Amino acid sequence: MSFLQAILDGLLIGGVYAVISIGLTLVYGVMGIVNFAQAEFLTIGMFTAWFAWAFLGLDPVLAAPLSFAVAFAIGWVVQGQLIARVLSAPSVAQIFLTVGLLIVIENGTLLLFGSQFRSVTTSYQTISLSLGPLFISIPYLIAFAMSLACGVALWWFMRASWFGRAMRATAQNPAAARLMGIDTALMYKMAFALGVGLTAFGGAVILPYVTVYPGVGGQFVVLMFTVVVLGGLGSVAGAVVGGLSVGVIQSLSSLFFPIQLQNLVLFIVFILVLAVRPQGLVGASR
Amino acid sequence: MKRWLALAAVIVAVALLPLLLDPRGYWIRVFTFTLLFAAMAQAWNIVGGLANQTSLGHAAFFGIGAYTSTVLLLKFGISPWLGMLAGGALGGLAALVIAIPTMRLQGHYFALATLAFGEVMRVIANVWTSLTGGPGGLSVPFVPPSLAAYSFKLLRPHAYIALAALVVVTAIFEIIRRGAMGYRLRAIKQNPAAAEVIGVDTTRVKLQAAVISGALIAMLGTLYAQVAVFFDPDTVFGIASISIRIALIAIIGGVGTAAGPILGAFFIIPLEEVMNDLLSSRAAGLSQLVFGVILISVILWRPRGFITVFDSLRARLSRSGAS
Amino acid sequence: MTMLDVRKVSRRFGGLQALSEVTFSVNQGEIVGVIGPNGAGKTTLFSTLVGLIRPDAGTVTLDGKNLAGLKPHTVAGLGMTKTFQNVALFGESSVLDNVLTAGLLRHGVDAARSEALHCLDRVGLRAVAHKEAGNLSFPERARVELARALCTAPKVLLLDEVMAALNPAEMREIMQLIRSLRDDGVTLLVVEHHMRAIMNVCDRILVLNFGRLLADGTPGQVASDPQVIEAYLGRPAEAARR
Ligand SMILES: Nc1ncnc2c1ncn2[C@@H]1O[C@H](COP(=O)(O)OP(=O)(O)O)[C@@H](O)[C@H]1O
Ligand SMILES: [Mg+2]
Repeated sequence: MSFLQAILDGLLIGGVYAVISIGLTLVYGVMGIVNFAQAEFLTIGMFTAWFAWAFLGLDPVLAAPLSFAVAFAIGWVVQGQLIARVLSAPSVAQIFLTVGLLIVIENGTLLLFGSQFRSVTTSYQTISLSLGPLFISIPYLIAFAMSLACGVALWWFMRASWFGRAMRATAQNPAAARLMGIDTALMYKMAFALGVGLTAFGGAVILPYVTVYPGVGGQFVVLMFTVVVLGGLGSVAGAVVGGLSVGVIQSLSSLFFPIQLQNLVLFIVFILVLAVRPQGLVGASR
Repeated sequence: MKRWLALAAVIVAVALLPLLLDPRGYWIRVFTFTLLFAAMAQAWNIVGGLANQTSLGHAAFFGIGAYTSTVLLLKFGISPWLGMLAGGALGGLAALVIAIPTMRLQGHYFALATLAFGEVMRVIANVWTSLTGGPGGLSVPFVPPSLAAYSFKLLRPHAYIALAALVVVTAIFEIIRRGAMGYRLRAIKQNPAAAEVIGVDTTRVKLQAAVISGALIAMLGTLYAQVAVFFDPDTVFGIASISIRIALIAIIGGVGTAAGPILGAFFIIPLEEVMNDLLSSRAAGLSQLVFGVILISVILWRPRGFITVFDSLRARLSRSGAS
Repeated sequence: MTMLDVRKVSRRFGGLQALSEVTFSVNQGEIVGVIGPNGAGKTTLFSTLVGLIRPDAGTVTLDGKNLAGLKPHTVAGLGMTKTFQNVALFGESSVLDNVLTAGLLRHGVDAARSEALHCLDRVGLRAVAHKEAGNLSFPERARVELARALCTAPKVLLLDEVMAALNPAEMREIMQLIRSLRDDGVTLLVVEHHMRAIMNVCDRILVLNFGRLLADGTPGQVASDPQVIEAYLGRPAEAARR
């Protein structure tokens, strides 16, 4: 029975993983750049939501759009001022620019907010529903529902809006998109800002069950990479499958391994997937 | 000929420096670590520069080296010199094990895979407490000072050993770069299919580069352990403390050239130290923040590293000389 | 004496049969032309012969040795290499270094260097030996490609449209070079669109169409084969008249 429970928990957590990782895959799909600083926007989202809770009394779930907006604005500037300049540079320069960004954000938050751990208290934090023999944790369920809503909104945006279609056109062929009158630099800013905004959104909705501190993003780095690589880097639908799989893998491995080894399982899955099918388990074979 | 003389002059000048520094002081320590990190970045440069595979997981081999010699010394009293050889062999083996699955990957994918491998090693070192002492770390036991036991009262011999290591690793790098392997690696980096068709065994050459690089960096791990005297998994297997830092040193200096990692190390390590000194007392994180800002600025200014500053200077000089 | 033997080689790309049961053999010292419309499978055939592409079925035998499962570098070591139609030089390296790297297959660095200079002489590019390969003109790059392949000391050399974009004088030089290589005992397979050049230099011609071997004979036989004329919509006759 604990097996089913683990799968259920895994799926609920995994939904959030999907949303926080979509940004990575979106930016890679559109620009061919892996943003090593992506997880830092989770930290930014969590801090934004925490301050909204502490000073405005806003529930983290309601603060999520605010987190999204803050990260979106930062992402817009970062893309326009920094990333845009290395788009045609060697990949080492691209990698290390975002690594530099990671260092700046992690230590910037440390400097601004100190190293203490902060958490929120909400009325539903410890409640769970029982569903036959299974328990559904309310904070997990809320985070999952919010992520789902967010994912649907993104899906609608990419499919139905002009912006979304222009962005997909840019991802497929930037030169052709430019000829069609699409401002690709604008699309890049949009993709990057949207991507980090989603990650920050995810940060806000997990705040009821994850403590925030400046290094919290670092805990999610390899996890997020595993999600997108499982699904195929560049594929948004893949990130959803990847997120759910990682949630379930993590949750199941907690049944068999001590807590310290849980990440190990994830890393090994990650390396194996990269080695065997770098295009992802979901992506089409080359 | 003139270049060799200049090179010899630089080595002698650097060799004299430890004599001028207070042997118990702070600066000789910074100097030693600078040389050590220059050597590490040079070893990374074999894979990162010549084969153009940006590894973010070299801490894995470095940590293996640091732990192998220290554990052998602690449990069996084996001299760290021998431990260094054992560590080099294990580091080379680990490099082979990870290179086989990741060899085909390029650019960002390769960086991601190696990053994860470094993390695997860090987790293992934290969990395998009976061997590594776990998160608490290991102290290198004190033994009566002697060269054979790799134990000294002062830091000066450590500085010279680090200098010798830098010279040796740089020489290996140059021999590879100028030799058949260098040609082959450059060919693979530019067009792997064409390289295969004209007879380059791309798999084998990449594996060779990975193993040499991994073995060298593992041996440097022993030198680090002997100077640092105490270390824990999060330091020697760290992403930020080792993997990213050595790649960064090579990149800031100029990847793929012998001078790059040396330039980079002499810029970054002292800078970090000075900033830690000046800024850490003010506020935690400030020095690292400044470091990140400098990193971003350098990459935006010189995406191919400082070495290009010299190239453009040289070009300007020859242009003005010609006119 | 048979140098290269190709038996029922097939290869699919998704729904596309790029090669289907291609069978032929080539004697030592022959110059064999391979022609066919664009997309006929000529480049795929060459890539399959050197081991860049694995055939789905069939066997390739080089000088009595079965090449099944061998990687391109091993095939190069056994004496067969090819040039790339779209030119695959090491663009940031010098012309000399490009060719030298191929020489390393059989020599140390110093011997490879003098071998490379010799090969550059043969294609008439010694003067640009120290230029960056990526900065050359397209015809020059095609000749570097040729010198690089030569420097592996091949027994069988596969040339994929090395004469594209050459002027008539340059083309004559390359044809001269092809003949002199044959006189040295090299066996050559040549893909070329320029009909007069190919009719002129080849002993025998293979015609590929939609991955099938349509004809195999002397230039005269092939040029008068109605099937071939149909495949080309009359183009070979016109081209020959030019
Ligand atoms: N790697 C590949 N993947 C899929 N299709 C391919 C690949 N290489 C070639 N093709 C297809 O196989 C057919 C033959 O191509 P090719 O051998 O290049 O023809 P040719 O050299 O005669 O012009 C073409 O239709 C081409 O599109
Ligand atoms: Mg072709």
